[in-house]
Amino acid sequence: MKKFRKVCRWLHQHLGFLAVGLTLVYGISGIAVNHAHHWDANYQRGVEVFMIEPAGTGPTLDLLPVVIDRVKPALEIKNSWRMEVDILQLFVEGGQYDINLLTGEVVYRTFKERTMFYDMNFMHLNTGKSVWTGIADAFAGILIILALTGIFLVRGSKGLKGRGGILMGLGFFLPLIYIVVERYL
Amino acid sequence: MRWLMLVALLFVLVGCGSDKAEETTVEAAKTFGDGITLTEVTPISEMFADPEKFDGQTVLVEGAAVAVCEHRGCWFSIASDVEGESLRFKVEDGVMVFTPDIVGGIMRAEGIFTVNTLDLETTRKICAHNAEEAGEEFDPESVTEGMTYNQISGSGAILLKAVE
Repeated sequence: MKKFRKVCRWLHQHLGFLAVGLTLVYGISGIAVNHAHHWDANYQRGVEVFMIEPAGTGPTLDLLPVVIDRVKPALEIKNSWRMEVDILQLFVEGGQYDINLLTGEVVYRTFKERTMFYDMNFMHLNTGKSVWTGIADAFAGILIILALTGIFLVRGSKGLKGRGGILMGLGFFLPLIYIVVERYL
Repeated sequence: MRWLMLVALLFVLVGCGSDKAEETTVEAAKTFGDGITLTEVTPISEMFADPEKFDGQTVLVEGAAVAVCEHRGCWFSIASDVEGESLRFKVEDGVMVFTPDIVGGIMRAEGIFTVNTLDLETTRKICAHNAEEAGEEFDPESVTEGMTYNQISGSGAILLKAVE
């Protein structure tokens, strides 16, 4: 048992250091995407409304240069789309203009990647797949080893037979209670 | 015989030439999911004109991406060849993630075209949600039948390289 505990301590210590960076990535991104209904964890979005002289609802090809000139002269667009008879959209790098051709109202929507959060979420959600799938699996394995070896690090009243055991039981009990109440009652 | 061989060789050369031209026109700037395997593009307007004919078929469509799912990037809308029409390309959450920067770019997207009919209750919920988002009043009784919509259950897509 003494040798087993020694192995656990060695693994916990070394893998613990190895896991710090990735734990922070997954932890911070976890909080960020957990609140996806409160904020956009990946992008900062902006909306600006202004008016131009209405261009009317003629053929798109005739309207397009006129509207672009009125929105912003020499504006470089990626593409345009006549969404409805009275709505023309201009797509530009980092945003789009929604133009009401009858009223002249222009809604300019922009988006910009959130510094650090975008990259952390990219890793957390495994958006890139390929090599990151292996790294994330290895990290998950390390977390399992950390959890299991952690059980045997402390002996006595603060260990598994005492306070540690109660805390571990609580850690199992909380998700169990939640899932039973949420899904089966 | 020589003439025949010459004609055959000419056909091969012309064939190779046109293949190459096709390849350069569909160079991908970004690939999503399994990418695309079909080569023949079906116009979206054709599918909208006779949805039942295409229901359940694997199709390849091409057009500008004009909207994208802001929450999970699990769908984008692709503009039809007819003004005002667009078709939603939908995938399971996380299988592919479509980012806002694809909007305005030309997409080629492959998947199964489906015609879907919602029940009355779900249709009313969707209409109520849309009205709420638009800040409009909504009377559930004004909707009397289920909504039908078309979409592609996507298997892969590519964002075409912008023409310089």
